[in-house]
Amino acid sequence: MNGWMEAPRQWLDSFGEISRFGVRIAGLVYSGRVFKFFGESLRQAGILIFGSALIIWAFVLILGLQCGLQGAYFNRSIGAPSLAGLFSAYCDLREGLPYAFGYILSAKVGTGIVAEIGAMRISEEIDALEVMGIQPLTFLCATRLLGAWIALPFLYLVGIVIIYGASYISVVHQVGDVSSGGYLLIFWMYQSPTDLIFSLVKGMVMATVIVLVGCYYGYTASGGPIGVGTATAKSMVFNTVAVHIIGMLGTVIFWGANPRAPIGG
Amino acid sequence: MAGAALSRGFEPFKSAFEQVGLMMVLTVRTLLAAVRSPHPYGEELVWQFLFVLRLSWFPLIVSTFALNLGAPGLQAAGILSLFGALDRLGGFFVVIAIRWIGPLVTAVVVAGVAGTAITADLGARKIREELDALQVLGVDPVKNLVVPRFLALMIVTALLDVFAIVMGLSAGIAAELLYHQSLGGFFATLFSNATITDLWSSVLMCTIFGGIVAVVCSYKGMSASGGAAGVGRAVNQAVVIALVAVFFFQFLVSSVILATNPELQAVR
Repeated sequence: MNGWMEAPRQWLDSFGEISRFGVRIAGLVYSGRVFKFFGESLRQAGILIFGSALIIWAFVLILGLQCGLQGAYFNRSIGAPSLAGLFSAYCDLREGLPYAFGYILSAKVGTGIVAEIGAMRISEEIDALEVMGIQPLTFLCATRLLGAWIALPFLYLVGIVIIYGASYISVVHQVGDVSSGGYLLIFWMYQSPTDLIFSLVKGMVMATVIVLVGCYYGYTASGGPIGVGTATAKSMVFNTVAVHIIGMLGTVIFWGANPRAPIGG
Repeated sequence: MAGAALSRGFEPFKSAFEQVGLMMVLTVRTLLAAVRSPHPYGEELVWQFLFVLRLSWFPLIVSTFALNLGAPGLQAAGILSLFGALDRLGGFFVVIAIRWIGPLVTAVVVAGVAGTAITADLGARKIREELDALQVLGVDPVKNLVVPRFLALMIVTALLDVFAIVMGLSAGIAAELLYHQSLGGFFATLFSNATITDLWSSVLMCTIFGGIVAVVCSYKGMSASGGAAGVGRAVNQAVVIALVAVFFFQFLVSSVILATNPELQAVR
């Protein structure tokens, strides 16, 4: 029984430390101390855009195709193919995009941050920063969080365009049970600007947690070159679970009591 | 001049194609090494199997339950309760929990938990030049390190998919109970809509996902280079490639299976 409870116990252990670490970083951003390094924040935002945008959008595209496909066949099986837009609207905006965004961010950005900061920790560059009188937490972690907050909302909004297009392609052109006009009528009917804001909030909470977890595991990496690899793997485990839990809580909070559909009383 | 600029612009694509090709080569080498005697990897296979299971069971259970309760459970139950047709949630969960989210979350968890561990482990061995030492000793790293991980991950992913489906359906039951609905309707539509094709295609899909994750992560680990930053970067690239490959592959497979099996499209 010994090794089997290891995963949950480690997870609970690190949860508390990560929360404390995350609150400290968020405090550094909110108190404005990060603006001493605003240039570095902009550089991190640029790295996010040039390094991760294409892969995020490609991933979102695949999930959008899948959303449309499953929705089209499900609605065919209940005998209402023209309602495929309902499934796509819910799947794309409310659930699919936040999850796709969370998965690919934790894979690309989260582990990337761990690898980068972890390597700095191992080669003692972080200690060197401290000796030079630069606060490493502010310079390395807070700037990355601010950079993510600057760049990621826009990547998310472009992702919405891409996931809508992908679902349209697979429902109207791949399966082809419903005409373009019929699909779009239902599709636009079942969403509202408020849903978009809720979805964006969900995605951004995931992004914030992923960046903070990445910073934590990178900042506390130890044990030579192998330690960086282990820390990177651990951050991915934590992020996988965190993304799902945030997704569920977001759904319960935003749409749990009121499905926000244009039918019924 | 223009040619030089063009070839520089295509440099990332070229290296991507090269890597995909090398992964294919590794797949074929792994398959050949798995069937060709001798078979020295039995003990390592059992160890890896238990290792992956021990790491993955908790994230898998939490993730599938959370995802199925949020996305298909509460969203679909919300709109079905407006129609007064909450018993139809069972039929919906066949589509979502068995055909789609079960394999998907299993693959994400296995890639994120076991795949990263494999890359970190093999990458560390590569950096410490243990793999070269093995080769000097006449031990084939593909046969002794990659094959057991490949087989173990294929078996574990298929097994975990069954648990993912069970947890997904429990989340559906939880959603029904949250809406104060009796469970008879849920089970009736669930069992009338579920087919054997759904189940075997889901498990088969997951077996192949396990193979993809194992090959990608082993390849990235065995080609890690560049000291401390190298292993971390290898893990980063491995998990991105594994996720994209798995999602793309799932789209292709489910397109084919849904289009070629009319019993999945019947009205029940």
